[in-house]
Amino acid sequence: MGNQAVLDRETFETFRNWRVNRAEYAKAWKERTGRKIIGYFCTYAPEELIYAAGILPVRILGSHEVQDVTEPHIFAMFCPFCRDCLAQGLKGRFDYLDGITIAQSCLHIRQAFTSWQKHVPIDYSYYLPMPHHVQSARATPFLAKELELFKASLEEWTGKKITDDAIDEAVEIHNRNRELLWKVYELRKGDSPPLTGEEAMEMVLSSQMVDKQDHNAALEKVLARLSKRDSTRPTGTRLMILGSEDDDVEFINMVESCGATFVVDDHCTGTRYFWNNVESAGDRLTSIADRYVKRVPCPTKDWPDRTRVEHVIKLAKEYDVAGAIVMQQKFCDPHELDNPALTKALKDAGVKTLFLEFDVTVPIGQFKVRVEAFLEMLQDDDLF
Amino acid sequence: MITAGIDIGAKTVKVVVAGDGKVLGKGLVPAGLDTTAATEQAFDKALADAGLSKDKVGGIVATGTGRKDCTLTDREITEVGAAAKGAVQVLPSCRTVIDVGAEEGRTIRCNGAGKVIDFAFNEKCAAGAGTFAEGMARALQVPLEELGPLSLKSKKATQMNAQCAVFAESEVVTLIHAKTPREDIARAVLDAVASRIISMVRKVGFEKDVMVIGGVALNPGFIEGMKRGLEMEVFVPEEPEYVGAIGAALAAAE
Repeated sequence: MGNQAVLDRETFETFRNWRVNRAEYAKAWKERTGRKIIGYFCTYAPEELIYAAGILPVRILGSHEVQDVTEPHIFAMFCPFCRDCLAQGLKGRFDYLDGITIAQSCLHIRQAFTSWQKHVPIDYSYYLPMPHHVQSARATPFLAKELELFKASLEEWTGKKITDDAIDEAVEIHNRNRELLWKVYELRKGDSPPLTGEEAMEMVLSSQMVDKQDHNAALEKVLARLSKRDSTRPTGTRLMILGSEDDDVEFINMVESCGATFVVDDHCTGTRYFWNNVESAGDRLTSIADRYVKRVPCPTKDWPDRTRVEHVIKLAKEYDVAGAIVMQQKFCDPHELDNPALTKALKDAGVKTLFLEFDVTVPIGQFKVRVEAFLEMLQDDDLF
Repeated sequence: MITAGIDIGAKTVKVVVAGDGKVLGKGLVPAGLDTTAATEQAFDKALADAGLSKDKVGGIVATGTGRKDCTLTDREITEVGAAAKGAVQVLPSCRTVIDVGAEEGRTIRCNGAGKVIDFAFNEKCAAGAGTFAEGMARALQVPLEELGPLSLKSKKATQMNAQCAVFAESEVVTLIHAKTPREDIARAVLDAVASRIISMVRKVGFEKDVMVIGGVALNPGFIEGMKRGLEMEVFVPEEPEYVGAIGAALAAAE
């Protein structure tokens, strides 16, 4: 085992820096543009529309630090992620935000949003009633109407009309970002992927934190470099990671130092975020609404049919994974609901799974014991 | 070929010296704070038990949670792999290994060659591990070795629901205040450990024969709880705490 990553560090440095120094980036962006920033809580927020209003949408994420400030606001058996997010607001870590928004997904993260509304001074907040029953034919027209109201609200707040041209441009920039991310992910299908799962996570996470135009420019550069990247790092066991919200870079790094590489994911900090583009489905707002209704769903919305299972199996096959780590944010009910079906489908497809329960901090030592045993089992499979 | 297997656990270090699949010598030393010294002591003990000198040992493999720090070898296998190998060596018909140590419980399914097919760990919960039984024995003022025999005198199941070691202790105290016979409380404690372990076993599924290994397998009250819960016989080897080290010694010969 003991694979030393011999990939250069510079290629993904921009993304890493953006992720680590997200507040500095946001403050500098405001300084440079003189415009507003909105924090959103879940990837169902229609970033294109916010961006078209001249506002920078950034995702609110936790810090992975133990905290003691949310107990009065959120019940202890709500997921640690929603509590961690709220803690960031209460501690003033997102003091550069002018507004916050959420598109209805799970009630845990909604609680973080409503507590933030109440207890963190903020100029603007908007709750978008994103439909749950996305498999209904009425979902897209419903959301399109809601987007009209959201648009009007943003216009009133900024005092500026959102033009059709601005929407078209925002959609184009966001679609471009997704296409570039796909291209990088495509490279992970090969025998020796020129990037690690940790780098992929840094890349997608940072896209939720910075202006997509800056991100697109960085992605173009990375794509040019990746084709020439000296990939002497042994790939080891090809893994997939899937489950709840996950920005635990340290965990990915630990697994990849044990003789494995994550080649694909199903996370809202990964493929679920960028898999689907806005395509023409009628007028502008309908097209945006349709994208969010038809995107790879979060388990909060994936019913009565479980469409995500099929999608995950397809990814596992296309990226040729030997095993999958199913990570479960503690108390994340929607994913708990899906995991038995997902685990069974993966098993039937010949992909073994390792289930791990994540908290704000991850017990790296305990998890390493499990991960190493999992990899040893998969490597033994190869011999037979 | 003479080989050695070293199992550096959370609480004790176990060493087995083996030749041609046969155990020649064994040594067990509490891990304490200085694992390196404890490992060397256990190794020396096992060599003395086998009547062999160090230079006769052709290969050493380490396993267990402290295996990375083993100064005697840099070859290692995971505790899951070692338990499967060791168990099938001890009982060739074994297909499910339940390994309950001081800090962790594990279920491993394996094939006839001792290869791991699937496994599960107890999830960060003391109630499925030896330390839990030890803490509850303290609350009952019973030496740990006597907790099992005491529980066997009980005629009646008593429910204990807490899954947290601290809250479980307060349940024990409540039972003491309610004048519950000590043997019934002892059984309640061990049934609770068995129940946590069994729910993990059901997660991976089990196939005959089932072997229970690790230090907690030495507790007859726990084993009774396992049999009742699984509604089947389980096999306990003579010295269940050495099975991981046996597996490591076998790996060293490969």
